[in-house]
Amino acid sequence: MALTIAAIPWGVMAILLPLVGALACFLSPRRANPLGLVTAFGVVACVAGLAWQVVAQGTQRYAIGGWGAPLGIDVYADGLSVLMLMATAVVGLGISVYSNSYFKRDKAVNFWPLWLFLWSALNALFLSADIFNLYVTLELLGLAAVALVALAGGADALTGAMRYLLVSLLGSLAYLLGVALLYHSFGCLDIALLAERMEPSPAVLAAVGLMSAGLLLKTALFPLHFWLPPAHASAPAPVSALLSALVVKASFYILLRLWLEVFPVTAAALGQLLGLLGAAAVLWGGLQALRQTRLKMLIAYSTVAQLGYLFLAFPLGSTIAWQGTLYLLLSHALAKAAMFMAAGNVLRFGGHDRIVDLDRVAQRLPLTVTAFALAGVSIMGLPPSGGFIAKWLLLEAAMLSGQWWWMIILILGGLLAAAYVFKVIGYAFTRAVMTHEARAVPATMEWAALALALAAILLGLVAPWPLALMEIGLPFGGEAAG
Amino acid sequence: MNWNAWLPLLIVLSSLSVGLVIFFLPEERVATRTTLNLAAAVLKLVLVGVMIWGVVHGHHYVTRLPLLPGLDLVLRADAESVLFVTLSSGLWLVTTVYAIGYLEGSPHRSRFFGFFSLCVAATVGVALAGNLMTFLLFYELLTLATYPLIVHRGTDAAHQAGRAYLTYTIAGGALLLVGTVWLYGIAGSLDFSYRGFVAELADGHRAALIAIFALLIAGLAVKAALVPFHGWLPQAMVAPAPVSALLHAVAVVKAGAFGIMRVVSDVYGIEFAAGLGVTLPLATVAAVTIIYGSMRALFQDDLKRRLAFSTVSQVSYIVLGIALTSPIATIGGLVHLVHQGVMKITLFFCAGNLAETLGIHKVSEMNGVGRRMPWTMAAFTIGAFGMIGAPPLAGFISKWYLGLGALDAGQGWVLVILAGSSLLNAGYFLPVVYAAWFKLPADTWPAERSFGRRETAWALLAPPVVTALLTLALGLLASAPFSPLQWVRSITIREYTP
Amino acid sequence: MNDALSVFVLLSVPGLPLLLAFPALRSRLSRPCHIALLPAVVLLAVPDVVSIDVPWLLLGTGLSIDAASRWLLAMSVVLWAAAATLLQTPTGQPADNCLMACFLLTLAGNLGAILASELVGFFAFSTLMGYGFYGLLVAGGDESARQDGRVYLCFLILADLALFEALLIAAAATDDLGFEAVRHAVARSPSPGLYLSMVLVGYALKTGVWPLHFWLLLAFRSARPAVALLLGGVPIAIGLLGMARWVPVGEISFPDVGLIVQGLGLAAMLYAIVAGLKRAQLKLLPAYAAIIATGLFAIALGTGLADPVAWNRYDNLTQLFIVSLGFGLAGLTTAIRWLEARDHRSAALARQVYNSTPWFERWPGAVVHWAARIGFDTLPRLRTLWLAEMGRLRRARVWKRTLDGSERFLQRWTIAISLFALFGMVVAAFVGASSWIG
Repeated sequence: MALTIAAIPWGVMAILLPLVGALACFLSPRRANPLGLVTAFGVVACVAGLAWQVVAQGTQRYAIGGWGAPLGIDVYADGLSVLMLMATAVVGLGISVYSNSYFKRDKAVNFWPLWLFLWSALNALFLSADIFNLYVTLELLGLAAVALVALAGGADALTGAMRYLLVSLLGSLAYLLGVALLYHSFGCLDIALLAERMEPSPAVLAAVGLMSAGLLLKTALFPLHFWLPPAHASAPAPVSALLSALVVKASFYILLRLWLEVFPVTAAALGQLLGLLGAAAVLWGGLQALRQTRLKMLIAYSTVAQLGYLFLAFPLGSTIAWQGTLYLLLSHALAKAAMFMAAGNVLRFGGHDRIVDLDRVAQRLPLTVTAFALAGVSIMGLPPSGGFIAKWLLLEAAMLSGQWWWMIILILGGLLAAAYVFKVIGYAFTRAVMTHEARAVPATMEWAALALALAAILLGLVAPWPLALMEIGLPFGGEAAG
Repeated sequence: MNWNAWLPLLIVLSSLSVGLVIFFLPEERVATRTTLNLAAAVLKLVLVGVMIWGVVHGHHYVTRLPLLPGLDLVLRADAESVLFVTLSSGLWLVTTVYAIGYLEGSPHRSRFFGFFSLCVAATVGVALAGNLMTFLLFYELLTLATYPLIVHRGTDAAHQAGRAYLTYTIAGGALLLVGTVWLYGIAGSLDFSYRGFVAELADGHRAALIAIFALLIAGLAVKAALVPFHGWLPQAMVAPAPVSALLHAVAVVKAGAFGIMRVVSDVYGIEFAAGLGVTLPLATVAAVTIIYGSMRALFQDDLKRRLAFSTVSQVSYIVLGIALTSPIATIGGLVHLVHQGVMKITLFFCAGNLAETLGIHKVSEMNGVGRRMPWTMAAFTIGAFGMIGAPPLAGFISKWYLGLGALDAGQGWVLVILAGSSLLNAGYFLPVVYAAWFKLPADTWPAERSFGRRETAWALLAPPVVTALLTLALGLLASAPFSPLQWVRSITIREYTP
Repeated sequence: MNDALSVFVLLSVPGLPLLLAFPALRSRLSRPCHIALLPAVVLLAVPDVVSIDVPWLLLGTGLSIDAASRWLLAMSVVLWAAAATLLQTPTGQPADNCLMACFLLTLAGNLGAILASELVGFFAFSTLMGYGFYGLLVAGGDESARQDGRVYLCFLILADLALFEALLIAAAATDDLGFEAVRHAVARSPSPGLYLSMVLVGYALKTGVWPLHFWLLLAFRSARPAVALLLGGVPIAIGLLGMARWVPVGEISFPDVGLIVQGLGLAAMLYAIVAGLKRAQLKLLPAYAAIIATGLFAIALGTGLADPVAWNRYDNLTQLFIVSLGFGLAGLTTAIRWLEARDHRSAALARQVYNSTPWFERWPGAVVHWAARIGFDTLPRLRTLWLAEMGRLRRARVWKRTLDGSERFLQRWTIAISLFALFGMVVAAFVGASSWIG
C-alpha cells in the first residue's frame, strides 16, 4: 500500500484536481457549492500526500508526459514549494468553506470555477521548474484574480479590477520580455540549467532588470503598491482574502526563486535598495492603515506594510533571514485571510464596514472579533504567533549581520500594526446599544475565520517543523549564512 | 507520564483552559461560571502545593518544548518562581471570590472572567519561565490579556486608559524584544541560571552588555511602573476594582519587578552587574520613583488613583532591593514582592467595597465611613499601617531588610529615601484612616446599597479581611519556619554563595 | 528558660488586651479594661525574674521582667486601672467601641514595651502604644481635640522614623538586639554619633522634651480626664524608658553630646518656669511640670553621657525616677481636674486658651501651611500649563494632508510607469555593476 501511495504523482494531482473541479462546477452550476467544497478537500489531501512524499523521500521531480527538461515541462517539489503549497491548501480550504456560505447561487456559479482555476494555477506556479512555465502560471493567476475582483460588480470593483488588470499585464509583459532575453542568451528555460549557465552580459542585465521590476510591481512593493488597496478592498471578502494571502505571494515566490537560484551573486547595494523600499513600505503602509475609515482598506494597507517586511531579507541575505521571511509569508497568509474573512462577516452583518460604527456590530459577532484579534496578534508580531517567530528570526538575522537599522524598522512596523489593530479591536468593548436590525452571519463563516486565525497562532508554537521542512532541497544552498 | 516534566505546564494550562471554556458560557449561567472559576482557582492552588512539596524535597520540575531550532520554551520551578507562583495563585483565589461578588449583575461577565483567567495563566507563565524567551512570550501575553479587562466597562475614560496602557506596554515589549534578540545573538543561550550566564562574555562585549541591560530594564520598567514609564498605571484605575487589585498586587506590576529580578540575578548575576556599574543607576531610578510616586499620591483625591501612585512607589522598593548589591537588600526586595502584594490587594479590595456599597470614590467623601463599614475600614487601616512600615505588620519586615541591606552595601543615602518615603506614606494614608474613623459622616452617602444587617456582601467582605489577617500574620510570624521571609532567605543564600 | 507557665503569663500580659480589643470578644464582659490588667497583676505577684524567647515572632524577640521593671509594671497597672475606672464613671454607660479599642491597644503596647527584652519588640510595642494613644486623645472629642491630636501624630510619625533608622543602624552593628548587647556594640562602633542623635531626637519627640514639647501642651489641655491621667505614665514614661535603654550611656564617654543634652535640659527647666508663669493656666500646669521633669532627666542623661562612671553608679535610679514621675504627674493632673470641675472655670478658660498660643509656639503650623500651599497650588498649576501645550501640538493636522496627497500622487499612471521603468533600469545597473566589478 505504502508503495502505491508513494508512486502517485501527488504534485501533478494537486494541479489537475482543481482544474477538474473547476470544470465540474462550471458544467453543473446548481451543485457548484458542494462540488467546490469537495474539490477543496481533495486538493488538501493531494498536498498532504506530496508533503509526506517530500519529507520521506526528498525532493521530487516529475516530468509531465515523460518528456524531461529542457524540452518538456517538469514538476519540481522541494521543501520550499511544499511549504507554499501547504499554506495555499490550508488557506484555500478555509476560503472554500467560507465561500460556501458567503456566495448565493448566482454568484457562486461564477466564483467556484474561477477560484478553483486560480488555485490550480497557483499550485502549478509553486511546482514549476522553468521560467516560462512560471510566466504562464503567473499570467493565468493574474487573469483569474482580475475576474474574481470584478465579481462583486459595481463601479469601485470594476475600477479596481481594471487597474489591477493593467498592472498585472504590465508586470507579466516585463517578465516575459526578460524570459525571452534569457532564452535568447542561454537557450534553455529550466531553472537548474540556467543556474549553471548564467553569466553576466548586457542582455542578461536587461532581463534581470525587467523581470525584477515586473515581479516587484506584481508584489506591490512601495512605491509600486498603488493598485493593491483599491483592488483588495473592493473585492468580495473571500476574494480579498485569497488575493492578499496567496496571489501577491506567488510573484514574491518567483522573485525568491530567481534571486536565489538563477541571478548572479547579489549586489549588496541592490539588497540595501530593496530593503530600503521594504522599510518605506512598512512605514507607509502602517501610517496609511492607521488613517483609514473603512475596515477593508485598513486591512489592505496592512498587506502593503507586511509585504514590505518580506523584502527586509534581501539586504540581510543569511539563512536565518530567509527563514524569517518565509515564516512571515506563511503566517501572514493565514492571518490576512482570517482578517479579510472577519471583515466580510462584519460587512455581511451590518451592510457596511465603517470603522467608527463598528461598535454596534462587534458585540454581536464575538467569534469574528476574536478571529480579527488573533490574526492581529500575528500581524503585530506578538507572541505566541507565527508572526512573532518570523519577527524574531528577522531580528536575529539583522543582529548577527550587524545591520541594526533594520531592527528599528521591524520594531516600528510592529508598533504601527499594534496601533491600527487595536484601533479596531477597541470597538468590541463599548457600551453601545444595538439599534438596527441586521442580517445574521452563518456560523461557518465565523468559524472559518476563527480557524485560520488560530492556525496563525498555532504556527508560532510549532516552528521547528516548518523550518526543518524548508531545508529540504536546500533552496538556500547557494547562500552562505550571514 | 513524567510528572516532573508536565507539572509546570499543567499549572499554566489549568487557568488557560478554564478561561477558554468560560468565554463560551452564556451570561445567565452564573452558577456554572462561578463553579468553574472557583474550581480552577482551587485546582491551581493544589497543583502549586504539590509543586512546593516537590521542590522542598528536591524534585526538579522542568517542561521543555521546542519553540525554535536552538531555543526552547522552558517552564521551570525554582525557588523564585515558587514564590511568585504561590503569591499569584493564592491571591487569584481571593480575587476571584471578590470579583464574583463585585460584578454581580454587570454585563459581559463571561468575557471578564475569561480574560481574568487568561491573565492569571500568563502571570503564572511569567513566574515559571525558565529562560528569557519564555518570559518574553508570557510577558506579552499578559499585555494582551489585561487590555480587555481595562476597557471592560467601555466608557470613554476606559478606552483612553486602554490606549495609554497599550502605548506604554507594547513599546516596552518592543524594547524587551530587541534586548532579548541582541543578548541571544551575543550569548547564544537565554536560559536563566544561578548567578547569571553573561559573565564569561565580559571581555569584548562590555558596552553591548550595558546597552542590553538598559534595553531589558527599560522594557520591564514599563510594567514595573518605574518613573518615567509609570503613566499608564493611574489611568488604568478606571477598570473595575478586582482588575485594579489584580494588576497592582499580582499580575502586571509584579511581573515587571519579577522580570527585573530575573535579569539582574539570573541573567547578569548580581555581582557581575555591580561590576558593570549598572546597578547604581537602577537603584537611583528606583529611589526617584519611590519619592515621586509618594509625592504624587499626596495630591490625589480619588482613592484609587492615590493607591495607584502608592503602588508606583512601593514596587520600586523591590527594584531598589535588587539593585543594592547586598544579600540582605535582596531579601528585603524579594520579600517585599510578597508583602506589598498582600497589603496592596487589601487596600484595593477596601476601595472597591467603598465604591460598590456606598458609591465613594474620593477621599473627601470618606468622612466617618468607619462607623458604617467597620470591618472594611479595619482591614484598610491594617493595610495602610503595613504600607507605612509600622511594626509588627508585613511592611515593617521588608523595610527592615531593605534598610539593613542598604547599610550593608554601604549606600547610606537609601536610608534617607526610605525615611522620606515612610513619611510621605504616612502623609497620604493616615489622613484617609483619620477621616474614616474620626470625622463625622455627611448626611447621605453618594450611592448607598443596602445589604441588610451586614455592612456589605460577604463575597466583598471576606477577601479584604482575609488578606488583612495575612498581612498581620506575615509580619508577626515572619521568623516562623515556612514564612515567605525564610523562603526568600534560602533563595538569597543560594544566590550569593559560590 | 521557656517553661510553659512563664510563656503563658508573659505572653498574656500584652496578649489579653490585644484580644479584648476586638469588639466581638469583649461584648459580654462588664469591665473589660480591668480584666485586661489581670495577667499583669499575676505577673507582679510572682517574685522571680522571668524571661522567655519567642524566636518566631517578628524577627525573633523576647519578653522578660526583672526587679527594676517590676516597679514600672506596678505603676502602669495602677494608672491604667484608675483610668479605666474614670472612663466608665462619668455617664454610667460604657464608652463607645472606638475608645475602648484604643484603650486596650494602648494598654497592650504599654505593657509589652515594659516587658520587651530587645530593641525590635520594644519598638513594635511602643509604636502600637503611640498610635493607640493618639486614638485615645481623639476619640469622642471635637474638632479642636482632633487638631491637637494631629500635632501629636505628626510628632509620633517623625519619632518612629528616627527610631527606625536608629534601629537599622543598631542591627547593622550587631546581630543580637538585646539592650545590653546593642549598647555595647554601638558604643564601640566607628560612628555612634548618628545612632545617638537619632535615638535622642526620636525619644525627645515621643516624650515631649523641650524644644519638641508642643504636642504635650496641646494634649494636656484637650485630653479628657482619664487620658490626661495617663499622659505621665504612658507616653512620657515609656519615652524616658526607651531613652534609658537605647542610648549607649554608661559605656563610653561622649562629652560633646552630653554637654548639649545637659544644656537642653537646663533650658527646658528654665523655659518651663518662665512660660508656665506667663500663661498661668491651671490646666497646663502638669504639662510644665512634665517639661521640668523631663528636663531634669535630660540633665541626668547628659551627665551620664559625659561621665559613664557616674551613670553606672546611679542607673538603677532611672526606673525609680520614671515611676515617681508617672505617679506624680497623674496625681497632679487628677488634683487639678478635680479643682477645675469644682470651680467650673474650665469652660471660660478653654475659650481663652485656644487664642493665646504664644508666637514662639506657633511656627510649626506656619511651616506646614506654607508647604501645603506650594504643593497644592504651584506645582499642579505648572503641570496643567504643560499639558495644555502638548494638547495644542497634537491638533496640527498637517501630516494627514501630506499622507493623503502622496498616495493620490503615486496612483497617477504616468508616475507609476515612470517609477516602474526606473526601477528596472536601476536593478539592471546594480547587478551589472556588481558582476562587472566583482
